[in-house]
Amino acid sequence: MAVAIEIERRRALSLARIVDRYYGPAVSTLAVLAFLLLWQFAATRGWVNVRYTSAPSQVFSAAVDVFRHDHFLHHAWVSFSEFSVGFGVALGIGLPLGLLLGSSQRLRLFVEPPLMALYTAPRLTLLPILIVWLGIGMASKVAVVFLGVVFPIIVNTIAGVREADPRLLQAARAFGANAPDIFIKVLVPGALPAILLGIRLGIGRGVLSIVVGEMFVSEAGIGHQIMTYGEAMQVNRLLVYALSITLFGYALTLAVRLLENRVRSWRPQP
Amino acid sequence: MSQIELRDVAIEYRKPKSDESFVAIRGINLSIDKGSFVTIVGSSGCGKSTLLLAIAGLIPRARGSIRVDGRDVAGPGRDRAMVFQEASLLPWRSVHGNVRFGLELQRWSRDNVDQRVAHFIGMVGLGQFADYHPHQLSGGMRQRVNIARALAVDPDVLLLDEPFAALDAQTREVMGNELLHIWEHDKKTALFVTHAIDEAIFLGDKVVVMGKDPGRIKDVVEIDLPRPRTTAMLDSAAFVAYRRTLRDYIAADMQSLQMIEDAA
Ligand SMILES: Nc1ncnc2c1ncn2[C@@H]1O[C@H](COP(=O)(O)OP(=O)(O)O)[C@@H](O)[C@H]1O
Ligand SMILES: [Mg+2]
Repeated sequence: MAVAIEIERRRALSLARIVDRYYGPAVSTLAVLAFLLLWQFAATRGWVNVRYTSAPSQVFSAAVDVFRHDHFLHHAWVSFSEFSVGFGVALGIGLPLGLLLGSSQRLRLFVEPPLMALYTAPRLTLLPILIVWLGIGMASKVAVVFLGVVFPIIVNTIAGVREADPRLLQAARAFGANAPDIFIKVLVPGALPAILLGIRLGIGRGVLSIVVGEMFVSEAGIGHQIMTYGEAMQVNRLLVYALSITLFGYALTLAVRLLENRVRSWRPQP
Repeated sequence: MSQIELRDVAIEYRKPKSDESFVAIRGINLSIDKGSFVTIVGSSGCGKSTLLLAIAGLIPRARGSIRVDGRDVAGPGRDRAMVFQEASLLPWRSVHGNVRFGLELQRWSRDNVDQRVAHFIGMVGLGQFADYHPHQLSGGMRQRVNIARALAVDPDVLLLDEPFAALDAQTREVMGNELLHIWEHDKKTALFVTHAIDEAIFLGDKVVVMGKDPGRIKDVVEIDLPRPRTTAMLDSAAFVAYRRTLRDYIAADMQSLQMIEDAA
């Protein structure tokens, strides 16, 4: 009898756990489905003008079309390579610079004001200048991605290093740590969550930069296609490209977030 | 043979937002015998941590000399290891990683480091918890890690700055007993700061009583209780007498503090 109750209770518990675990994703998925259904329904019922709003079914067939006949992979590759190069350079410069600035107050006094100004400045306004300097090819887009990504990385890395717990630094020194030891074993691991946060913010800004940069002036790329189909009023195709780049940014952000969760696992979960 | 020798030591701090300095402790003379367990008591702010950090070589002194085994202390050294309060563990490292930390910093050869780490984790009774992270441990367990981290580097002198201050009374008593147990094993010289009078008497061969304004040593009381110490001794006549003596010293300090506050 007691055993039966116990089993019953366990079953209920594990069910509760499953519900708990999948509740969030399930609700999100349902919300997306509901939205798509409503969109489709509104379009077929003629509540909205399909010419402007398109419909999920139309976007889907446009997607098939785009992937087959529109050199989609070529445009995706152009955008992706511009993004990757800009992002890589931003990481390669931003991370060491942030670590350096985070650990030296004197350097910070020099560099922080212009840095903060650049961080808050609407950097897309620099786009015309970048194009004058670098031309309409890859370089100007790489530069605008770089500018979008580098500042969140620098600023967050600085914050992460500065928040280092003085008690940990003292403990390290008590065991004879030298400056590189403290850097590698205390400052960098302590700053890692903040660094990843900077990278995640950088991804969002980088993706936006690439699209706007290409929309502004370019010969190929996702942004270029969005602009082209926008001018041609081909909403279906426009949406295919817009959705692709959104998915790309979302997936990358999600990956970094997962990494962040792993890195933060040593902290009590809120 | 005395192992630690302090002669006329004074430590000053810069006052915040000014060029003036503030004398935290001064006129400190102290000899600590090799293998003895010395406790330091005194009300908060009398410079106990300052004194310990100076012996650890973590803060410079304004005057005087500190010698350990005859060598002048100019910085941290392998001969001394410090046990801090619980927040000094690296939160992103496991118990194993934290105990390994000191060995890594002191460049111990990698060959049997992990074995050594495991040995000391076992010694403080955390064998089952080697893969846990600090936030998954109780306060008492964290302090065991802290002690294991210091013991693992095989110091001659163990410096402990209120290691049990954040623990509840029961855990504190258990930890004190275990610390003595470990200490009796290899008799490393131990310098243990606390503000709890009973703890100071229970653990120490000598109790150094510090006073404030300026931070100084008021007296050094020899504790003539047999070892191993047992909890039963807490109620012995001798213990009660020590307690009364030390309480009077510290009460005097509190009174002077009261007078300062009244005057203000
Ligand atoms: N880093 C510091 N800078 C300035 N003053 C300090 C610093 N550390 C401690 N003090 C001062 O020195 C005195 C002694 O402090 P401390 O050694 O921490 O006392 P205790 O450990 O006995 O409580 C206190 O008045 C404290 O305010
Ligand atoms: Mg203190």
